[in-house]
Amino acid sequence: MTATTRADRLRLLIVRNAALVGMPALLALFLGATVAIHPEFNSFDAQSLAMAALPLAFAAAAQSVVVISGGIDLSIGSVMAVANVLASSTMEEASFGRSLVLAVLIFAGGAVVGAVNGLLVVVSRVPDVIVTLTTGFIWGGVALLIQERPGGGAPDEFLDLGTGSLFTPWLSNSLILLVVAVAVIWLPVRRSKLSLLIYAVGSDRVAAFRSGVNIGRSRVLAYVIGGLFSAVGGLGLTMTTGIGSPRAGVLYTLSGLAAVVIGGVSLVGGRGGVVGPVIAAFVLTLIPSDLIFLNIDPNFGQVIQGTLIVLVVMLGGLATLLRRRP
Amino acid sequence: MKHLRGIAALALGAAVAAGVPVAGAKAAPQFVIGVSNTHIGNSWREEFVCSIKAEALASGLVSKIVLANREAGPSEQIADLRTLISAGVNAIIINPSDGKALDPVIKQAAAKGIIVIAADQPVEAPEAYVVTGDQQAYAHTGAEWLFKQLKGKGNIVEMRGIDGTPGDAERKKGFDAAWKGYPDVKIATTTFMDWSNEKAAQQMAALIASGKQFDGVWTSGIDYTVIEAMKSAHRAYVPFVGADNNGFIKQLIDYKKDGLLGVAVSNSPAIGAAGLVVALDLLQKKDRPHHVVVAYPSWDNTTDAGVEALKTLYDPNVAPTDPIYGAIPGYGHFTAAQEKDCKGPGE
Repeated sequence: MTATTRADRLRLLIVRNAALVGMPALLALFLGATVAIHPEFNSFDAQSLAMAALPLAFAAAAQSVVVISGGIDLSIGSVMAVANVLASSTMEEASFGRSLVLAVLIFAGGAVVGAVNGLLVVVSRVPDVIVTLTTGFIWGGVALLIQERPGGGAPDEFLDLGTGSLFTPWLSNSLILLVVAVAVIWLPVRRSKLSLLIYAVGSDRVAAFRSGVNIGRSRVLAYVIGGLFSAVGGLGLTMTTGIGSPRAGVLYTLSGLAAVVIGGVSLVGGRGGVVGPVIAAFVLTLIPSDLIFLNIDPNFGQVIQGTLIVLVVMLGGLATLLRRRP
Repeated sequence: MKHLRGIAALALGAAVAAGVPVAGAKAAPQFVIGVSNTHIGNSWREEFVCSIKAEALASGLVSKIVLANREAGPSEQIADLRTLISAGVNAIIINPSDGKALDPVIKQAAAKGIIVIAADQPVEAPEAYVVTGDQQAYAHTGAEWLFKQLKGKGNIVEMRGIDGTPGDAERKKGFDAAWKGYPDVKIATTTFMDWSNEKAAQQMAALIASGKQFDGVWTSGIDYTVIEAMKSAHRAYVPFVGADNNGFIKQLIDYKKDGLLGVAVSNSPAIGAAGLVVALDLLQKKDRPHHVVVAYPSWDNTTDAGVEALKTLYDPNVAPTDPIYGAIPGYGHFTAAQEKDCKGPGE
């Protein structure tokens, strides 16, 4: 063990937690830019941001757990769509209490779907890209079978969870919901041995195996958590749109993956967290609305998103280099 | 014009007043118009947006167009509409991605004094003004023409749009209403060509190869590639119903000598501009009903006058599968050149 100076320790602290320091800074930068572009920024805009970011944030959280475990899940958008149409088709006539029960059932369904994905990947040994792309098609078809075209609904109190604001207009319910859901699902995992297993499997599968980690079970559990987050994201879509739409999820698989990369999760696994990608979802949501305020073609949003990914991946490489230095 | 200034000031609010020139004695550009479209890379939708920009310029009443234009579902369109509300627009023209999901945000916009127009497709929100073409009448016009050409007797091919879409269902109603009057007209084949030029052409080629007899063709607006498929298979032309796509207009002019008789029923993307015309009327406190149904024109090549009219519509610089440019009669003042430029005020 070599003696390290205080500066070295500080550097290591920042490098190791680059996403946790960097992501709030990036969000602050984008929020600052938004206020500069649009000085009338008020609670209405804050609520717009929280509502629009809600489904994407859950898609990002779902993908980040799977990616940390060394996998990838290309069925997230379709699972969100299934949860979305399941909710809207069963809750239309339901009471608030009943719709909460249905929501819990749909969460459980999401976890089961995640388990199926994980088991298929682990048992068949077919690459996860192929397995989840295929199951994604299946779930996309299931969503269309449940509800052929956009429609359905949910009780107003339920929609209010995503669109209202209980305390002040600046703090919308969707933001509270996001924080609570991520905390309830992710914190217990993060504090238990399970997260160690997930990170270990993603970081170095052989080393994890030799240390006695049950590789298959750990990977399946990562997919289960991913499926759970996807289902919550699908309900987020129901809350913010008020309807179910069988194709609503298609945009979220890839934008969720973009948020994962920008949020500091390494695509080779084992590194990063859930909070970074969730914050990145807010950054990605700000881009199109800023472009509308600036009267620039919103399709430039994709260019900006791609540029951000390249920058973050390059910075990530730099951080890895710094970390390797003694 | 004093009252105009008052309305504008009220509607604009303090937030945007600074950026908007106040009307002088003559009505100056004063309204800020938001546009929300959710399909990109589709020529009909691009022209939809361009027609709004062109009419904004031609009307002289619009100072700025704020455009939210990306591939999106209801969730993203809600976000875009909230951004447009926040940007302080006076009116929003929406081509809605869903008839119900936008209702809460439309209500919020209306509460802030913003005029909301759903153009091309309807929304349920009672606050909104709906400006649509009559899709039943669209199908009825072409079908009636075709059955008359066949003197009420024969086998026809029916090429529909996308199964399960509201537009296709409406057109089927209009088609059937016309068909009911002609008991001796039989439908030899029905296909769904999904409004795809390639798919429609393949279906026609397969139909000719199958040797099935037909005396007329009704299409739900895909025409150019179907006629070309008949031409390359050396199939004799039969009375044909298409839309106002540039290539079909040219075929109606050029192939008439080879026996092609047809009608181009317009389904103009300038319905977007029609939405703006209604919005500007409302902003100037002129009365408009909540549902405006725009009547589309049609042109056939059976008479010399018809061919002359088609010649004025054809534009050599427009792609054959793209609809022709220009305003719908009574719903806009812009020229085809302005629409092609696709530049709004100040651009």
